[in-house]
Amino acid sequence: MNLRSILGRIGLWFAVLVIVSPAILFFLWMVSLSLKFEVDNAAYPPVFIPEHFAWKNYADVLASNRFLTYFVNSLIVTGSATALALLVGVPAGYGIARMAAHKSAIVILIARITPGLSYLIPLFLLFQWLGLLGTLVPQIIIHLVVTVPIVIWIMIGYFETTPLELEEAALIDGATRWQVFRHVALPIARPGIAVAFILAVIFSWNNFVFGIVLAGRETRTLPVAVYNMISFDQLSWGPLAAAALIVTFPVLLLTVLAQRQIVAGLTAGAVKGG
Amino acid sequence: MSALTQSTPAAAHTKTAPEKQWRPPSYWPFVVPALVVVLAIIIFPWVFTIWMSLNEWKVGSPTIFVGPSNYLRLTTDPRFIEAVGHTLVYTVLSVVLPLLLGTLAAVVFHQKFAGRGFLRGVFIMPMMATPVAIALVWTMMFHPQLGVLNYLLSLVGIPPQLWVFHPATVIPSLVLVETWQWTPLVMLIVLGGLAAIPTEPYESAQIDGASFWQVFRFITLPLIMPFLFIAGMIRMIDAVKSFDIIFAITQGGPGSASETINIYLYSVAFTYYDLGYGSAIAVVFFLLIVLLAAVMLYFRQRMLWTEIGSGA
Amino acid sequence: MANHKISRRTLFTGTAAAGALSLTGLPARAEVNWKKYAGTKLEVILAKGPRGDNLQKYIKEFTDLTGIQVESEQIPEQQQRQKVVIELTSGRPSFDVVHLSYHVQKRQFEKAGWLSDMTSYMKDPTLTAPDLVESDFSAAGLQYAKNDKGQMLSLPWSVDYFILYYNKELFQKKGVAVPKTLDEMVAAAEKLTDTKEGIYGFVGRGLRNANMTLWTNFFLNYGGEFLDAKGNILTDGPEAIEATKLYQTLLTKVAPPGVAGFNWMESMASFTQGRSAMWIDGVGWAPPLEDPAASRVVGKVGYTVVPAGPKGQYSATYGDGIGIAAASKNKEAAYLLCQWVVSKQQGARLLQAGGGVPFRNSILNDPEIQKGVKMPKEWLQSVIDSAKISKLGLPVVIPVAEFRDIVGAALTSTLSGADPATELKKANDQYRPILERSEKA
Repeated sequence: MNLRSILGRIGLWFAVLVIVSPAILFFLWMVSLSLKFEVDNAAYPPVFIPEHFAWKNYADVLASNRFLTYFVNSLIVTGSATALALLVGVPAGYGIARMAAHKSAIVILIARITPGLSYLIPLFLLFQWLGLLGTLVPQIIIHLVVTVPIVIWIMIGYFETTPLELEEAALIDGATRWQVFRHVALPIARPGIAVAFILAVIFSWNNFVFGIVLAGRETRTLPVAVYNMISFDQLSWGPLAAAALIVTFPVLLLTVLAQRQIVAGLTAGAVKGG
Repeated sequence: MSALTQSTPAAAHTKTAPEKQWRPPSYWPFVVPALVVVLAIIIFPWVFTIWMSLNEWKVGSPTIFVGPSNYLRLTTDPRFIEAVGHTLVYTVLSVVLPLLLGTLAAVVFHQKFAGRGFLRGVFIMPMMATPVAIALVWTMMFHPQLGVLNYLLSLVGIPPQLWVFHPATVIPSLVLVETWQWTPLVMLIVLGGLAAIPTEPYESAQIDGASFWQVFRFITLPLIMPFLFIAGMIRMIDAVKSFDIIFAITQGGPGSASETINIYLYSVAFTYYDLGYGSAIAVVFFLLIVLLAAVMLYFRQRMLWTEIGSGA
Repeated sequence: MANHKISRRTLFTGTAAAGALSLTGLPARAEVNWKKYAGTKLEVILAKGPRGDNLQKYIKEFTDLTGIQVESEQIPEQQQRQKVVIELTSGRPSFDVVHLSYHVQKRQFEKAGWLSDMTSYMKDPTLTAPDLVESDFSAAGLQYAKNDKGQMLSLPWSVDYFILYYNKELFQKKGVAVPKTLDEMVAAAEKLTDTKEGIYGFVGRGLRNANMTLWTNFFLNYGGEFLDAKGNILTDGPEAIEATKLYQTLLTKVAPPGVAGFNWMESMASFTQGRSAMWIDGVGWAPPLEDPAASRVVGKVGYTVVPAGPKGQYSATYGDGIGIAAASKNKEAAYLLCQWVVSKQQGARLLQAGGGVPFRNSILNDPEIQKGVKMPKEWLQSVIDSAKISKLGLPVVIPVAEFRDIVGAALTSTLSGADPATELKKANDQYRPILERSEKA
């Protein structure tokens, strides 16, 4: 029995190792690529830890002009799109959960199913007609396509698991729906909101396709800008990996720090939200 | 109120009536703002797309109304038909593999062990990382001569593969990336399912001396089925639409071996600027996704019935 | 104006000696009023690359000369083309000056009327320096820049010839001579291939679409023409089949595995690592090949023209130009900028850094400028020789992208064993209706 449990432990650790290693190896290799000069990066057999670290890859990316602008743009677009999504999405999740009106979620599903590419040209023409191009507004608006469904999806799941008794009691005491939502449901759902926030931030931050057409010189977000840094005349794995890592680093950090909340939120969302 | 209900049978009959008659203020005000926002964003593109799909509109030329001819053209376009095939293969593989591995990973992460939180965080990093960024790194790893993957294979004596550089292996290789990226999502959803399972069945199974596999097959699996279904549905929608990965790694090549509908749509709209035809593809593509979702729902219904049948 | 000093300054005056007026703003007997549009603001959209770099690096000089403010940005080629087309379609582009890729966009831009006609500006001595004359551009450049009516819709900026890069060290080791004909090239590649060592005789683009630029070198040298007199596409004829057979042989027998997915980048990686002995691609790759931080073959690279075929020897030619958006409100100022971009001085800088080859003969053939070229002499010679045998590398039609995709896919499938004739026929059948639809519209 004791032997069996020891074997079980070993088996478990082995399984964990197998499951986690693709992710670990990948990101380590990405770090390795980003710290090597081109000669090492294109060498075979591969160089894993170079003799000389190419910190210059990072310096180049960070020093390239307007990096800060793009970073701030990303913050504004992601921040606004997330804030707006929470503003409309949290109440919507609540309403849908309480009415069990999953049919109204179909609209949101349509937004989710629609191929992202088919938004681009019509919205470009629309925003131009409205005179909004050259500002960050078009990107904020189109990012709502990403953030609103995530927030609603997570929140439906969350509100369906929160107990109804308190809310009913408050209603009987004469509170309005809004007051109940504001003072009873919302405080309980705070962890759910945190997850919705984190996931909306991540997926909005990562979005790339929308920016290609809608962003201009002053309004580019970080993923688009970094993609644009890819130098045409060089085989530039090192700087490319460095740039890729810089873009994705905030998101990875957030993931590891908030993994407990993400796990809790996503699983709760999945229970009923589908 | 309770006195009333107890006193007369009639009142007892209307036990829940007071709640029914008291019409609560609707929850719609909570939902409407979000609906308005989403509709405001998607209605114009949809009207525009459907209208354009009925026109011949190549950028730089005038628009001509042509009725359904763009749709007819689709039926004889070999590239489109091929793309539909690629999309289906790609989707099936990218749904099935993450479902299998994700379930496995969920079972493992459902156990308690030191460092679980951190490792779980690491495990879900692929789905959170910026897709364009990861795709670029995978491209480098796939390189048949200089890539690290072939080097790793050579360590265990497997001859070098061509990965995304050969028509026969390109889709499986892309699915590998897709699986690597999205298995965590399935894991998270299934993990939620595992957490929701009551402990009683396991206890009785243990008493009966059931093996690990039997427990999994006859207790765990049926109970997490709804979660697998949700995961499968989400995965299907994302896999059909997969773009960043394929675009950044192969752009549909070699030849057109990995050209899916979404990639073809991109070519038609943004490199051929054949916007009328591209709109028709977008419409058909959307309908195809809806159809696939319907098929999945249909099988889900049937499966429910068979489960009940065999269970009884 | 004849005082030659060896310095950057010289270039100014040196180039000015050819015309009577330099861009330094020292009007000799000049009428060009550079400052006329001072205070204007121009927006420029550029494709990422050495041409864009060259513009941005020296743009201050233009502003000093003219008082025109220039805002510019570089975007990777593919995205730049999309953005440009979408914005031009909308009728209100955010830019005045556009960098265009002739071999892809020429017909599209002409037909849509997106570019403003420069013909009259070029004849106006108050706008155009006397050294900028049509006849100074190479024939290919004029073919690209002018429309059917002979209007000048853009200024040819930089030409891209395909040349043969080869690894001298590997050639020496195997005692192979530099091939003069395509047949010799195949024979040489076979000798150079040593699969045990992981060395291959030839590398080049196999990726759909990109591969067309390589294939046309063979096609042209087998005597191929893209279009007949009536505008029908001819890429399933005997020349095309022969060219494809050669392409198939090279890329399956003597090229690294996986070449079907190679674009220039993967090809270059293989070549710079010394794993491929020959590479045919655009002339602009010399700087990375000679950069020790990126290349293991520095100083070992030979440069020469693409070997001759049975029906001739041509260098497949591509190129980019700079034009003015028809919707721009600052056309004259924009014209001054275009002119500066293709000026002798800017062209000399581009050539000397190896970042591109100006279309202007007066730059390419100027010994002073040639002296300053930082790339190996052989490279410059290959450029000059290619210029003499230059021929447009793609059909001048609107659906170029479709052409490259469809025929390119056919080529790629021959790499996994498909029959060239059948594949080309199939591709032609698929492409013909697309071409007809586009020409008729």
